[in-house]
Amino acid sequence: MPLSFGNPWLLTGALAVGVPLWLHLYYRRTPVPRDFPSLRLIRLSVEAMTRRMKLRHLLLLALRILAVLLLTLAFARPFIGGGALSAGTGAPAAFVVILDNSLSMGTTHQGISLFNTARARAIEIVDQMGPYDKASVILCNDPGTVLFPQLTWDKNELKEAVRNAPLSAAGTNLAGALQPALKLLAPVRAFRRTVYLVTDLTKSSWEPLLATYDLKRIDPSIDLVLVQVGDAAPPNLAVTELAIDDPMVMKGRPATLRATVVNHSAQPHTTRLSILVGDDKKSEQTIELGPNGSKRLEIPLTFGDTGFQHVRAVLPADALPQDDVRHLAVQVRAPPRVLILRPPPDRDGKPNREDLFLRFALNPLNRTEGALFLVDSRSPEETGEVNPSEYATVFLVNQRSLPDALVKSLSKYLLGGGSLVTFCGPRVDPAWYNATLIDGLGGGYLLPARLFKRVGNAVSKAVAYQLTDLDTGHPAFKPFGTDGSGDPGRAPVYEFYQVQPNPSALVLARMSHGLPGIVEERRGQGRTLLVTFTADTGWTTWPLKPTFLPFVHASVMGMLSRQGINAGAIQPGTPVSLTVSEEGLKRVSLTLPTGQSQEIPLRRDNGEGLLHLTVAQTDQAGFYRLRFEGATEREEAFAVNPPPAESDLERLPQSRIVRFIRLEHQAGSKQSLGQKVVAVREGRDVSFPLLWALLLTVLAESILANRPLRLGGRASS
Amino acid sequence: MTTSRLSRFLDPKVLASLAALEIKARNVVEGFVEGLHKSPFKGFNVEFSEYRQYVPGDPLKDIDWKVYARTDKYYIKEHEEETNLSGYLIMDTSGSMGYRGGNAPMSKLEYAATLAASLAYLMLRQQDSVGLVTFADGVRRVIRPRTGMAQLKSICTELEQTAPQDRTDIGDALDRVAGTMRKRGLLIIFSDLMDNAETIINKVRQLRTRRHEVLLFHILDHHELTFPFEDTTLFRDLEDRSELITDAFSLRREYLRRLQQYVGAFQSALRKSGIDYLLADTSRPVEASLKSFFTRRQSVGARLA
Repeated sequence: MPLSFGNPWLLTGALAVGVPLWLHLYYRRTPVPRDFPSLRLIRLSVEAMTRRMKLRHLLLLALRILAVLLLTLAFARPFIGGGALSAGTGAPAAFVVILDNSLSMGTTHQGISLFNTARARAIEIVDQMGPYDKASVILCNDPGTVLFPQLTWDKNELKEAVRNAPLSAAGTNLAGALQPALKLLAPVRAFRRTVYLVTDLTKSSWEPLLATYDLKRIDPSIDLVLVQVGDAAPPNLAVTELAIDDPMVMKGRPATLRATVVNHSAQPHTTRLSILVGDDKKSEQTIELGPNGSKRLEIPLTFGDTGFQHVRAVLPADALPQDDVRHLAVQVRAPPRVLILRPPPDRDGKPNREDLFLRFALNPLNRTEGALFLVDSRSPEETGEVNPSEYATVFLVNQRSLPDALVKSLSKYLLGGGSLVTFCGPRVDPAWYNATLIDGLGGGYLLPARLFKRVGNAVSKAVAYQLTDLDTGHPAFKPFGTDGSGDPGRAPVYEFYQVQPNPSALVLARMSHGLPGIVEERRGQGRTLLVTFTADTGWTTWPLKPTFLPFVHASVMGMLSRQGINAGAIQPGTPVSLTVSEEGLKRVSLTLPTGQSQEIPLRRDNGEGLLHLTVAQTDQAGFYRLRFEGATEREEAFAVNPPPAESDLERLPQSRIVRFIRLEHQAGSKQSLGQKVVAVREGRDVSFPLLWALLLTVLAESILANRPLRLGGRASS
Repeated sequence: MTTSRLSRFLDPKVLASLAALEIKARNVVEGFVEGLHKSPFKGFNVEFSEYRQYVPGDPLKDIDWKVYARTDKYYIKEHEEETNLSGYLIMDTSGSMGYRGGNAPMSKLEYAATLAASLAYLMLRQQDSVGLVTFADGVRRVIRPRTGMAQLKSICTELEQTAPQDRTDIGDALDRVAGTMRKRGLLIIFSDLMDNAETIINKVRQLRTRRHEVLLFHILDHHELTFPFEDTTLFRDLEDRSELITDAFSLRREYLRRLQQYVGAFQSALRKSGIDYLLADTSRPVEASLKSFFTRRQSVGARLA
């Protein structure tokens, strides 16, 4: 509690504490000399009394010093609770109201929203603004919004801003709101400065602040006042996770939807979870949740249409309805088309077996209906009229060289979001590869690594290398991440190219002596993957092994699923960025969860033919759809969901709140919030209680000092 | 009673108030002259004591032939002999006895000397012999018991010439007195007892064991009994000159408690041993102290008679 003084110069009177000290010391040093028959009894008494006497002396000294201090303090007119330097001086006030508009403030109890209560409290605080006071309002949803970048005198404007403040679907960023508030108040030292924080005091929002911010280091002359709304945490159920594990969702093929429901209450609950695709309810199931428990559900789902689908997991509305719905944007695809740029036939005219192995791996049954991938195999010379962007992935297999036009179209394809997989082989000319596919494109390179020389001998098979250090976190090797799921390292590799990965490339697997074996790099919106050996059995027996097919599938699916926007973890208020190929693009429009559409301004990139888009209006939770209009039309979509932590409405224990002055206020209190605000701002004059304390101290001193006088008596026979 | 003033310690007022009193030893003491005091020695005087069988060596003239005629056995008839009293006034002259509180009419030594002179006067007046022993950390002067008023002058002169000094060692003084007194007698001790209580009690009990009659005047100043000091005080010990600074005000309660304990220890221990103990406050008139002493002596004597 801050302390200030109406007459601070009177505090110099505290020097008078020296008087009892001096008296104490003086009388200790000038005793009255007196003869006495014998000190025997006195000595014995002193031994017994010494401790008590010392204590009594010290107590008396303390009481006398306290009396002088209390007298001085009482005359200095101390104020408690006001601005440390200016309370009681009539200085104007400068304050900032931080209004918590995070998702948890959307809690309703008996039909009353916490956020409405908070707004009413904030308006009451602003109402106490005097004609010379100035203030600002900050919203503390993540990442925080300063409604008035400068302190303003306009009370009505401030009240209007509070009245119109929206409830956000985002989390709470207390530090992000407190910092600008302190910054606003820092220069106005002549004012009584206060920060009012109107919040529900949820544990999940305060713990990050307490962990990262030392509140005690805040300028002590600035009062921090906490106005809590909502005193108890109501039971709340929430959908905290909605995702699809499958790397690629295809039309007509079953996918597995994963949903997690959490019970934030000490009571068990039974609820119903509905899964909706668009407006069609696909499933509904009853869930039983234990106290403070959660349940993860796996729900099979099949999509009948291609394109971006809006999937929702919905619970019946409770105290916090905003977290009872979770959204997911799912891109449902038709079987993707894959282009294999096959090498020319052998000298004896036999077709190249690499093409054969890859086609078999991608479409084992060679089906046109129900196949996972539709494979198109062509030689480079046959690609003159082919547009690579029609293919999801292009395989470049053991090519000596490529036509210039194809190289350029592949480069554009890659930057615009395509996937390129390159297999090496005996026909590969490293000099041409490095000169054309890396250096010759002016930065628009196609390969993730530079080729050097061949290592090993596939003819003599003298040394067999193996794939090691598999990056099982990468989609290409994820299928091999668990025991018993196969090991690509068991296939020998007799010959491969030694490569040097680009600085931003990832080595997904190494050969057994440490050289990179498989390398991947993101290029623009696309990805390029290099396998340093052949796709047939010329240099390795891997294509004959059962692990080859899952690798090829996972590589392609992984590259496709990571195209576009990562829709998994977008929180409200977080800007979403996207880079797209500018070829023929005329207009990009965004459809908000409310159904409103707006055009997104386009920002040109550095000459690679790319455009950067940023969607900043992601305040609302829900499904966002982007439509790209131009030579061709396509869509992107993403979902915005509230942070799961906001669903936990547990309050922070009061004992953990430091530095803040708590302003307790209940509806129907005798004193209005405004009066309490004024009391905190102005401080309370405590000189009268101090005078009472002085009286009690003097009384105590008298009793203690004279206590032995009451103990009369004499020794007698 | 008429007497010229021999000493400042013989106050005519005091002596007048004591005129009707006399000292009677409660128990039998040994004496030389037949008088008011009974002798423990079996003689042939008026009062019959007991018969005992004849043993070889007893004078034949002591055999009671009448008893022989009846019992055909030799019995000796014994008598108690009345004798006069022989006493010592044992005076503590240590430094602490020189203390005189603010309003006290005299120092403790002067008070004790007045008491002693008065008692000497009374004893000599009834033909008892009386002596004086002064001591501090050792015996300073011994005047052997004698009868006659000339002895009173010697005692008074000695008392007047004695100045308080040195520490108190009662044990040594009592040992010396016990060694000097070959016969049982009366010992009157005047002291403030500023010595080890246990030692004093043991020594006095030893005297009592030798069948001496012991009277103890515990002389204390009024300030010692009430400790009326209030300031932070530098107390100087009158015996060893040591000093102690303390807050007398806060010490008072504890001091009085300990003094009460100290006095109580003497009272209970000495009375159990049949030793008379009297706490004399120097602020009280000497005659008042003597009166209360004799009153108690008489009442005890009457009870035993």
